[in-house]
Amino acid sequence: MLRNAIIAALAAAPLALGASAALAAPPTGQSLYADNCSACHQVTGKGVKGAFPALAGAPIVQGDGKLMAAVVINGRAGMPSFKDDLSDAELTGILNYVRGAWGNKGKPVSFADISSVRAQSNAKAKARGLQAH
Amino acid sequence: MKQGGHMDGVLTRRRFFEGLAAYGGVSLAMAGMDALGYGFASAQAAPPPLEGGGKGVKVVVLGAGLAGLTAAYELTKHGYEVQVLEARGFAGGRCQTARGGFRHVDLNGNDQTCQFDEGLYINHGPWRIPYHHRSTLHYTKLFGVPLESFVNDNDAAYVYFEKGEGPLKGKPVRKGEIAADARGHAAELIAKVAAKGGLDSAMTAEDRDLFVAYMVNEGRLSPTDFAYTGTDGRGFDVHPGAGVSPGPGKPSTPRSMADVLHSGAWRTLTSVAGYEQQRTMLQPIGGMDQVAKAFERKVGGLIRYSSVVETIRQDAKGVKIGYRDAFGEKAEISADYCICTIPLSVLRGVDLQASKPFKAAMEGVAYAPVNKIGLQMKRRFWEEDHFIYGGHIYNDMPGIGTISLPSTGWQSQKGVLLGYYAFGGEAAKISAKSPADRAAFAVAAGQKVFPEYADSFENAFSFCWHLAEFNLGGWAEWSDDGRKSAYPVLCEPDGRLYLAGEHLSYLGGWQAGAIESAWQQIGKLHARVRAA
Repeated sequence: MLRNAIIAALAAAPLALGASAALAAPPTGQSLYADNCSACHQVTGKGVKGAFPALAGAPIVQGDGKLMAAVVINGRAGMPSFKDDLSDAELTGILNYVRGAWGNKGKPVSFADISSVRAQSNAKAKARGLQAH
Repeated sequence: MKQGGHMDGVLTRRRFFEGLAAYGGVSLAMAGMDALGYGFASAQAAPPPLEGGGKGVKVVVLGAGLAGLTAAYELTKHGYEVQVLEARGFAGGRCQTARGGFRHVDLNGNDQTCQFDEGLYINHGPWRIPYHHRSTLHYTKLFGVPLESFVNDNDAAYVYFEKGEGPLKGKPVRKGEIAADARGHAAELIAKVAAKGGLDSAMTAEDRDLFVAYMVNEGRLSPTDFAYTGTDGRGFDVHPGAGVSPGPGKPSTPRSMADVLHSGAWRTLTSVAGYEQQRTMLQPIGGMDQVAKAFERKVGGLIRYSSVVETIRQDAKGVKIGYRDAFGEKAEISADYCICTIPLSVLRGVDLQASKPFKAAMEGVAYAPVNKIGLQMKRRFWEEDHFIYGGHIYNDMPGIGTISLPSTGWQSQKGVLLGYYAFGGEAAKISAKSPADRAAFAVAAGQKVFPEYADSFENAFSFCWHLAEFNLGGWAEWSDDGRKSAYPVLCEPDGRLYLAGEHLSYLGGWQAGAIESAWQQIGKLHARVRAA
């Protein structure tokens, strides 16, 4: 069944590709969040108890934007580093979405804030090797 | 540190080795001498001898991964009284293999039961062993776990780069063709410049001839005009054979330097494999979990399975571990010491009694999101149609990382290949999908390389280590700052608590890191017990 679904999806792929190319617009903070963050923090921002912290109502996502950016760029305490995966523009979009979603009342962070955190952290994106472990 | 004279240095080194020998015995002292360049071995190769024995001192080990299993096995062998608590219903930790019937429910509620046919498997955790991981190989030999070759590089395998430019963009090309052409063209350029004296400032006239000869050899150039015009190692358009047809066959034509450069496929080429990634490696026959099972045969009786640690308490007399047992009941276990191998990502959520600096240090590490997926194919089309026996399909498709072909079951009917092996943000992204969508994503990517892919696909088993309740990540990722400040704190005991695991090694994410960390910590524990 799964196999048939995939073959059907592949057959439909050229159409879908044409459609998405025609509608190409930069992804929003919300869609970037859904793509990159929701597997752990969930689309609801509620996280998974005992594993992944809630972002809804969390002090860190409503406080100093640069501190929050440093956690996402460098990783911390179980949270991976996203420095090689997200551009400063994408990070700005994601952080501002989180800071305003689910009733959060964090002040917006600017692109310049994010860039300065990246520079301070000396976290210039570097290419990964082909293999790990 | 710097002011000591020559004599001080000698004495310091000697004291250092004596110290090592006192708690770790001669083999550890030798490993230490090796680390300082005295040349006995390339890595820690044997467990500490624990001379004098443990005389019934009680140790509770948390976690039955390779670090915990190693600690339990060695300590028990030397007279310690050991009990192991393991959250899962089986031993091995990340040393797992999925076969038909293997079930995994992740933190997002994705419930998968592996549907692979009899005899097929995927190592969704560790999957290859370097020759210099002598600690891992110590136990495979000791326990009689049979090994086979793991093909970690294959010139016949395709590379697929779709983000480059030129005629090779989005086209599967055999790695050997790229290697022959990139290195052939480069060697030609260098040989010609060198032969004309263009590099004379860098070498003597006598060395120049040798250097040119080396370039001719390296690039498979014409020895007369130093031209690269292709070479048989990159394959034939018509392979040689019998009689006059195909007879000598038809040589293949090299691609231009520009085509190779713009394709980006040269990124797969390096002079020598990396330290951790040799061209051929080793794997246990039948799955990596054969290592875990071998340990389990030795110490399985000491393990309480399905026992989830909730509290870790300690005082001057001992440790008390609170846990929830297989029936969901609260239970407690007491011991003199604790060796805790729970990943820091998970340990953070445990009610742990430890010093403030120790707990602060636990926050100083990140864990890698890591995804793998096994795809069962009804036919080994990569062998039958493409003549590729093992190795990887290197590519630049986001979220895929590596596609890898099995190094086992050659020429059998079906096979399970690794559809993606991705980490970091790319892995976090794909892990948000349902298992069916992950499979669809992997199959669509593979279809770009092999036209038989989607048609041969039967079923999939995917694993996201950051979504596994008792792992919360594939491996620890230390920043430079974390290594300096947090890591050394966690490598030392806090009261009666000793941490061990890959996260407390510079062999992060490798089984050898777990084993050698356990060796080091039980060495320290034993020295303390003997001194008490």
